[in-house]
Formats: sequence, C-alpha cells, structure tokens
Amino acid sequence: MDIHIEGLVKTYQSEGRTVRALDGIDLHIPANQIFTLLGPSGCGKTTLLRCIVGLETPDDGEIRIGDQVVWSGRKRISVPPEKRGLGMVFQTYAIWPHMNVFDNVAYPLQVRGERRAAIREKVLKALRFVQLEGLEGRSATRLSGGQQQRVALARALVAEPKVILFDEPLSNLDAKLREETRKILRRFLTELGITAVYVTHDRVEALALSDSIAVLNGGHIVERGDPQKIYFNADHRFVADFIGRANLIAATVQAQEPDATVVQSPLGVLRCQKRDFPVGASVTLCIRPEFLLLSRVDAGGGGGGADAAGAPPNIIEGRLETLDFVGEVYETEVRVQDQLLLARVDPGVAAAAGDAVRFMLAPEHCLLVME
Amino acid sequence: MNPKRPGLTWSLIVIVGFLTLCPVLMLLLGSFSQGLTAFGQFTTAKYVAAYTDPHLLEVFSNTVIFVLGSTVFATLLALVLAYLNTRTNIPCKSLFTVLSIVPMMIPHLLFSVSWALLLNPSNGLLNLFLKDFLGLSASPFDIYTLEGMILVEGLLNMPIAYLIIAPAMASFDGALEEASRVGGAGVWRTLWRVTLPVLRPAILAAFVLGIVRSLASYAVPRVLGMPGRVDVLATYLYEMISTGFAPDYGQAAALGMSVLSVSIGLIVLYRALTASGDKFVTISGRGYRPSVIELKNARLPLFAAVGLFSVLMVVLPVAVLFYTSLVPYSMVPSAQAFASMSWNHWVEVLQDPISLLALRNSLFLAIVGATLGVMLSLFIAYVVVKIRTRASGLLESLSFLSFSFPGIVIGIGFMWFFVQTPLYATLTALLLAYVATYLPYGVRPLASAFVQVHAHLEESSLVCGAGPLTTFRRVIVPLVVPGIVSAWILMATMFVRELTVSVVLSRPGSEVLAVQILNFADDGLWGKLSALGIVMILISTGLVLLAAYAGRRFKGMRAG
Repeated sequence: MDIHIEGLVKTYQSEGRTVRALDGIDLHIPANQIFTLLGPSGCGKTTLLRCIVGLETPDDGEIRIGDQVVWSGRKRISVPPEKRGLGMVFQTYAIWPHMNVFDNVAYPLQVRGERRAAIREKVLKALRFVQLEGLEGRSATRLSGGQQQRVALARALVAEPKVILFDEPLSNLDAKLREETRKILRRFLTELGITAVYVTHDRVEALALSDSIAVLNGGHIVERGDPQKIYFNADHRFVADFIGRANLIAATVQAQEPDATVVQSPLGVLRCQKRDFPVGASVTLCIRPEFLLLSRVDAGGGGGGADAAGAPPNIIEGRLETLDFVGEVYETEVRVQDQLLLARVDPGVAAAAGDAVRFMLAPEHCLLVME
Repeated sequence: MNPKRPGLTWSLIVIVGFLTLCPVLMLLLGSFSQGLTAFGQFTTAKYVAAYTDPHLLEVFSNTVIFVLGSTVFATLLALVLAYLNTRTNIPCKSLFTVLSIVPMMIPHLLFSVSWALLLNPSNGLLNLFLKDFLGLSASPFDIYTLEGMILVEGLLNMPIAYLIIAPAMASFDGALEEASRVGGAGVWRTLWRVTLPVLRPAILAAFVLGIVRSLASYAVPRVLGMPGRVDVLATYLYEMISTGFAPDYGQAAALGMSVLSVSIGLIVLYRALTASGDKFVTISGRGYRPSVIELKNARLPLFAAVGLFSVLMVVLPVAVLFYTSLVPYSMVPSAQAFASMSWNHWVEVLQDPISLLALRNSLFLAIVGATLGVMLSLFIAYVVVKIRTRASGLLESLSFLSFSFPGIVIGIGFMWFFVQTPLYATLTALLLAYVATYLPYGVRPLASAFVQVHAHLEESSLVCGAGPLTTFRRVIVPLVVPGIVSAWILMATMFVRELTVSVVLSRPGSEVLAVQILNFADDGLWGKLSALGIVMILISTGLVLLAAYAGRRFKGMRAG
C-alpha cells in the first residue's frame, strides 16, 4: 500500500525557540518497495516516520495510507496509532522484558482478539520466517542483539500490516552484525514484497537496502531517487556530499559538448557528466575518491591503470602528499597544484609519499552539482 | 490519538488539587472565621488572639532550638556515617544499610516512648540502673527536656539525611580529590576544601528536609516534651484544639498558617537544591571508585562505635518495648524482674475493645489507603514522567505540595472541611487525609520506576494495535511492578503508624493504633502501650513481607 504525504508541518518548542522539524513535506512512498528516509541527525526523518505511524501529531498537512486518510489538519482527522494497522521496528527494539518471545510476537494478535489456535499458528510462522523457531519460550531479554532485532521484526510482521516502518533498527548492533542483519533484512523484505519505510543516517545501509531513497535536511526533502541516482547523479551538493566521501571543488562551466560538459577547475580543464548548466555558470565538481584511478607512479615501478570505457578519460597529475594504510586500500591525499584531492590507491601498488603520480578520471564520474 | 492525554492530566489535577489544596484553603478560610461549625463573619480576631498570646514567645524559641538542634545533630551524624561507609575501609559495611533502613520501620511514637522508658527521671530503666550501680541519689539523665527531645528527634531524622548524603558521596568522582592531593593538600584539607563544598547541595538538601520534618514532628514533643512542660509549635497547636481544653480551631488555623507557609517555603527551597544538585555532584561514567581512606588504628574503635550506635537505633527500642510489655511495672532487669514476667499486658490489650477497634481501623486504612494511594500515584507518576506538558508540571507541583504538610496543621485544615460534610468522624475522612498527606511517598518510587521504562516500549504496543488502556494494563503496569511494591510498602507502613493527622481527625469510633498508644501513654499504662506497640511493628513488618512476596510472585508469573 502506498503512502501520500502532503504539506506536512511539525514544529517543536525547544528552549524558547520554535524548531521546524518538518517544513512542508510532500512525499509519495510507492507500494511494495523499500523506501528509505536518509539524513543527518535532526533532519526530521524520525519525526516524519513517527507522524506516519501516529506517535507524533503534525501541525498541518495530510497523510494517507492507501485510500485511508490517517491524519489531516484541514479535515480534522486523526486516526490513533493502534487503529492504523502498521508494523514498526524501533531503534531500541522495544522488546517487552516481562514477556517471553512468544508473547512478544503474539501481542498484536492478542489485542486484536484472535483465537488462540490461530495466534499460535501465525506466531510460529512469523518466528520461522525470521529464523527464530524453537526460541518462543525464551525470555526475550536473554537473546542476543541480533535475535532481539528479529523478534521485533516478527512482532511487526505477524499481524500482516499494510506498511512496516523501521526507525534506525540496526544502529544498536556492532559493525559486523549490522552488516549481516542488513542482508537478512533485505532478503526478508524482498520476499515479503511489503511497503517498508526505513529511517537511517547510515548511507551504506541506505544504499544497500533501498529501492528508493529520499534525502532529508532541515525538515525538507532535498532529493529522492534510486540508490544509483543518489550516489552517482545527485543534483544537490548536500546529497553528493552526504551520501559518500567526495572531493568538492569549485568550477566554472566552459563549454557544452554533445555528451559532456566541460569545466575549468583548479585541477585543469575537465570533461564531466553532461548537465544542463549555462556556459560561465559557477558549479561544484564532485569527485569520489574511488573513481580516481592511479595510472602511473614515476618514482617506483609503473602501476597499470584501467581503461575507462566510453569517452576519453581526464588525466590528473599530482604528487602524493600522504599515504595512510587503512586495510583494504591506501588512503592518500594528492596535491594537484593548490588543491588537495582524496584518492584511494591499491595496497599492492608500490608508491610512497612524495611520488609524482598520474590519475585517470572518467567523465561520467565527474559529477557537477549546483553550488 | 493525542499523545499529550489532556483528559487524563486534567482529571488528575482536579483530584490531586482537591486533596492537597482543600486542607490548605480550608485552613486559610478557617483562620478568618468565627467558629468551626459556622464560618460566620470575616474576622482577623483569631490572628490577633493567636499571635498576642504571651506564651507564644517561649513556644517559638523552644521550636527554633528544637528544630535547628535536632537537624544539625541529624545532619552531622549522617555526614559522619556516610563518610565512614563510602570513603573509608571500615569493616562490615552492610551494617550501614541496616542503620539507614530499619529505623524507618520503627514508628517515631514508639521510638520516643522507648527512650522515655529508658531515660525518664522517675523510673527510666537506665536511670534506675545507674542510680543503683553508682549509688546516686537522683537520676543522672532527664529525657523530658529540650536536649532530650533534640537527641531523639535527631536520631529519628538521621536515616533521611543519610539516604540523601550517602549516594552523593558514593558517586563522587575521586579524581576531584586526587587532584587536590596531588596539588599538595592533605586529607583534612581536601575534605574541607573540596569534598564538603562539592557535596554542599546534598548536605543542604538533607538539612532543609530535616527542618521540615522536625517542624512537623509531633511524636517526640508529645511524648518527651509535654511531661516536662516543654511546648513546641506542634504540641502547642494540638493543645489549642484538644477537647480537654477549650478547643479553638480558628486560633489554631491562624497559627498553623505560619507553620504551613514556612514548610512550603522550605520545600520549594529543597526542590531547587535537589534540582541543581546534578550540576555539582559529578558522577563519572568511567567506573572510578572514590579513593578509600585507610583508617589504620581507628578502624576497629570506629567500627565498635558504629556497632554500638546500631544497637542503640535498632535493637534497643524494640527490646525495651518488649521487656516493658512483659514486666508488671518499670523495674531494672533482674532475677526478680524475669521471675515476674507474664503475658498479662498482651492479654489485656488483645481483649480491650478499643484497642481491637484501633487495630482493625489501622489495618483497614493501611491496606485500603495504600492500595488507593498507589493507584492514584501510578497515574500521577505516569503523567508526570511520560507526558511533559505544562499541565503535567502543574500536577507534579501539586502532588509534591503535601511533602511539606505538617500533619497537625493539615489535620486542622481537613477538620475545617470534614466538619461541613457527613464524613466527619468517619474512617473515610482519615482515609482521604492519609492519601492526601502521604501522596509523595507513593509518587516518588513510581516516578523513578517510570523513568526506567523507555518510551518505545509503550509506543510499540500502540503500533501493535493495543489501545491506551490495554497498553497501560499489559505493558506499563507490569514493567513498574517493583515501583508499585515499594510505593505500597511505604504508604502502608506510614498508614499503620500514622499519628499526626489522626490525632486531630480521630474521634470515638475511628481510633487508630497510634492514637490508642498515645492514650495509654497519657494514662501511664506503659505495659499495655508496649504490647500494642510491638503489635504495630509486627503489622508493619508483615505488610512489608506480604508486599515483597506478592511482587515477586507477580514478576515470576510474568516471566514464566
């Protein structure tokens, strides 16, 4: 079921000041997709989620789930959370410590007054689905973090909700478990084909999980699109910067070619992704470190650079300022004239700080965004 | 849904507002009225009469000496004990827990009586013993003096001060002191320049609370002050309304207004002190233990002193009462005394219809009152902790107001109210007054229980489709069971022993245990008094065990 949000406004009073947590949000969340609200802390993403589920009351606007208006300022409609028929996984999991696993999962069915036999069957099915069968008699608080997470998921799923909402559900897990759980979650949700709204501040999580991402900042939706669009082709500097590590460099549009936009920048003249900017416009050039491909090291042996497909690549020459070994790669800073560029170098390459290097950079990875 | 729940909040404000503001307003109204049953014309005559009484000056100076003396004594004692427990290597630290909790189980009335039995000038046990032993002609001690009252009241208030000061000392970041030591200051200098100043908010809070409590104290002045004609405000107020004299509720109300105002002012100060306390007492999350002072040679003597003190505080009162309940009249323990022991006083008390009625009334008030009080407190604590609106702030202030109520004064306020209603002289009147006066004892443990329940636990229940009532019943209440149990125990034990409100409101037919014990004291029936006193302590203990058992069972049922 899809969700329509129109003109949603929510303000808070905080220490005498009025904070606009949601500043007129218009959003359509399509049915049967994993939709992620991504943004830095305080951007309003959790507030938006809590408005959808009914735990916060907006000041103005309208929220429709499917055909049902669940909140509308103008029509004075306010459906309480318990009547919205949604499922939610909380950041803290919110597993009730006084109930065992079975009772935690059975709760949504019990409060709906379903028959005992039906409850038992559905709970066991949900637990089987999240791979916790056999643990139903366990005290819920004795489970590991990842298992509690799955109990919370089973509880959110068991009553077959119209929509399932996630409020940073992985942020309390350690790094390794977070990655595993993320993959499991992705598989579960894809199998279910349910509408899922997912809130996170973790860009990797958002990219890996989502069918669609909306990036929020300051109570606004800055941009939305699929993960590839957000990562490679962001329209806004904020989004390009937020979604991954990036070198952001001021540049001026020099010419428009049929398949590329040419800019003048401190790195020299570069052919970039085609964008509709007028010649002479000031833009921001966004280059992700992983797309700077080392093609030649002058001091030691030669490093082979890969050929970029399509348009001829840009060539950038500079000197390695620093070289930090972080495990799978070297992270390095390259000085190109006055500009320092972040880049990554394969750990197998023999290079040292001070070496003169040459990088290749494909035009499609030179992203131009508004200033 | 409106998560602010204005309906619930405002209903509670009305209920609590009635319970706490009604006696205050009636007191105010009464102080400007002509008589208890008919208000008559507005008059300031009662104020004039009350404040021009020549005896008042003496009462006032007695009160100041009594209140300040006992509070200084209690705070210093608590400071020393807290320091010994948290900062030194004194052995057997569990003794301090006993010392801070158990005395609260012994009703103030009985504690005072036991000291009277030990140190009264005519036949106090210790006095008799010392006279025999040292061959003195007169008793060496007289507890029926201002000094005696200060001693006993100080001992009674020590646990409260200790419970405020000890946690602050325990959570003290040792690095603050270490920095002072490294900077060249010695142990004493560090204590004086760093430790005590940082703890100042806690010490001040303990001191202010001590003043409020000793100002409201009635048991000690009544038992120890009246025989020696040492009047303080509490007893002076009671004499004004006690039926033996010519009762004047108007004058009492006029004078009571001052006591109440001072109390409320002090409690406002206390709240300000405890609110800013966080700023000072630095709790370090890095698991620092405060540095422990080596007591060396003083270790065992200090331990012996604390041990002796514990005996004095806990064992002696009960032992003296039990002994007195068995001997026919006051006599020093001896072969003759043990030979003449019998259960006679017990038998007489348990056949005395008024004592039995008092017993039944007190049990009823304790069980029904604590249950009602906890139910009300449960909703109040929920609104105060979980719903942060301006209205819930008002509710918090209202429910905290009765913390400042001096029992006698508030009893007088309630008397002005009940006398206009059919509730006068009924148990229901006592029930309402008890719940109103002791509401904070229910709200505080429940509020701290609610603080520990994450909002998500409640919200997830709503999202799961449970309405607010189902959520309250199935998720919230089970999670605060420990708070419910401690609130119930606190209220029930307070109600079993309740003296100050009851002494004003209790009438023939609505006697309670404490009032009956006081009657025995007035008649000098120490044996019967002691027997009934022990019964009171047994009931308190029984209720505590019962509630603890019920709480465990409930938790076990839920977990299983």
